[in-house]
Amino acid sequence: MKAPVPKSPKIAGALVEAYFAKRANLVLFLATRTGSHALAEDLVQDLYLKVAALDPDIETSSPNALLYRMAINLAHDSTRSQRRSEVRDTAWRQDMRTNLGGEDIVEDPSAERIVMSRERMGQLMAAIGQLPPQRQKAFRLYKLEGKSQAEAARAMGISVKAIEGHISAALKALLRSVEP
Amino acid sequence: MSVYLVHDAETAEDQAIAWILRLQGETPSVEDGLEFDAWLDARPANADAYAQLLSLLEAVDVLSPQVREGMRIETHGSARHRTLSRWAWGTGIAGVAAAAALVMVILPQGDLIAQTSSFATPRGEHRSVKLADGSTIDMNAETVMSVTLAPHERRVVMGQGEAVFDIAHDKARAFEIEAGDRLVHVVGTQFDVRNRPEGFSVTVSRGTVQVRGPGPTYVLNRGDRLDFSTGGEKVSRTDPAEALGWRTGRLVYRDQPLSRVVADLNREFPRQVIIADEHVAGEKVSGVLVLDDQTRVLERLALMLPLKTVMSDQGVVLQSK
Repeated sequence: MKAPVPKSPKIAGALVEAYFAKRANLVLFLATRTGSHALAEDLVQDLYLKVAALDPDIETSSPNALLYRMAINLAHDSTRSQRRSEVRDTAWRQDMRTNLGGEDIVEDPSAERIVMSRERMGQLMAAIGQLPPQRQKAFRLYKLEGKSQAEAARAMGISVKAIEGHISAALKALLRSVEP
Repeated sequence: MSVYLVHDAETAEDQAIAWILRLQGETPSVEDGLEFDAWLDARPANADAYAQLLSLLEAVDVLSPQVREGMRIETHGSARHRTLSRWAWGTGIAGVAAAAALVMVILPQGDLIAQTSSFATPRGEHRSVKLADGSTIDMNAETVMSVTLAPHERRVVMGQGEAVFDIAHDKARAFEIEAGDRLVHVVGTQFDVRNRPEGFSVTVSRGTVQVRGPGPTYVLNRGDRLDFSTGGEKVSRTDPAEALGWRTGRLVYRDQPLSRVVADLNREFPRQVIIADEHVAGEKVSGVLVLDDQTRVLERLALMLPLKTVMSDQGVVLQSK
């Protein structure tokens, strides 16, 4: 009896190839959805493991579409990953502790930590403060309070288009503020 | 490319903002993803503009407590941050990779043009690795790493260990070093990365390095030393020659616990040194140890602290005098 001919024997390879070709783009996509580049990198690793584990007989006419489908699903699940990376961070800190010969070291998480350039952070902070009141409100609702564009529009009694206009303009102004 | 510009007068930045708004709306569809992907690939400037915008948004997230409370961020800090240049924003969102990254680098065989090689040094052995791009990695004892040189990136995945990286400048290919949760991003420079159980540190002796991890991002210039240990993070000024001294057989310590010194010695010499008790382990050491012969090294160490050495079955035991 003749062995069945695999329908697309190279598909897993093609998918893995597509993954590497699209990896950087997928990170940007996932960072947009999760709001965290670190988390996006975590998720794109998960994605690789899923891609590598896929049945080689799986049929797809578009590996890229499958990758984005998987990425969207992973982003849905990102709260789990967030927790996991926190757990890992804690584990790392505990590891540090045990290796310090029983010294009981108290962390000070409240201390403001250095993030990129303080100078630039100050400029960014000032630029947020200098946004026109309506624009600033729209930006705060959307970015700082995590409201959707529609929710922000409802809260301010303006259209979604107008909210988008405010946020776009705010982002442009903030980008200006951190330019060298 | 020029056709694209004629058809669309918007700048990459305007388009990036439009994409953020579109993708952060309702759950995007696969079609949204594919269109976004095509836009990113259309021009390199698009992905750059988008990455820059994401960096900005993450920075706003960091600031959000201050913004909410209307507080002003402290601007103490220093001149050394003034040299933060555009790349820190543009490529600043190089990320953090899980430990699984090691699997990722090694698994593909023949699928990629990228070349991955693994290197390891045993106890007491240093090794200098010259890479095809002209960079050099000097590995300290008990160090494990894999190196991938791909057309668009250069990447080192570092396990436990310490190494001095002397990176050949290549604007088109960033050089990244993953060590656990930390990612060190560099364009062309020389620096020391230490990833040991006692802590993680980066010391820059030339150029600028960016370090990302689960917490904040650090930009380090010449003479900056970043330490992650004792559950905290600290940037300090140091003489880089000290951190890089191990390459020439000199270990330089400033106020380091004896446990750290002994851990270093135990990577260099086959006969293991044991610290008698925790009190002794926490004693602070300052000084230079020349690594010639273990007995003499321990004699010199005993001059820095009130210590005596006792031979036992397990090795050399260090006790208080």
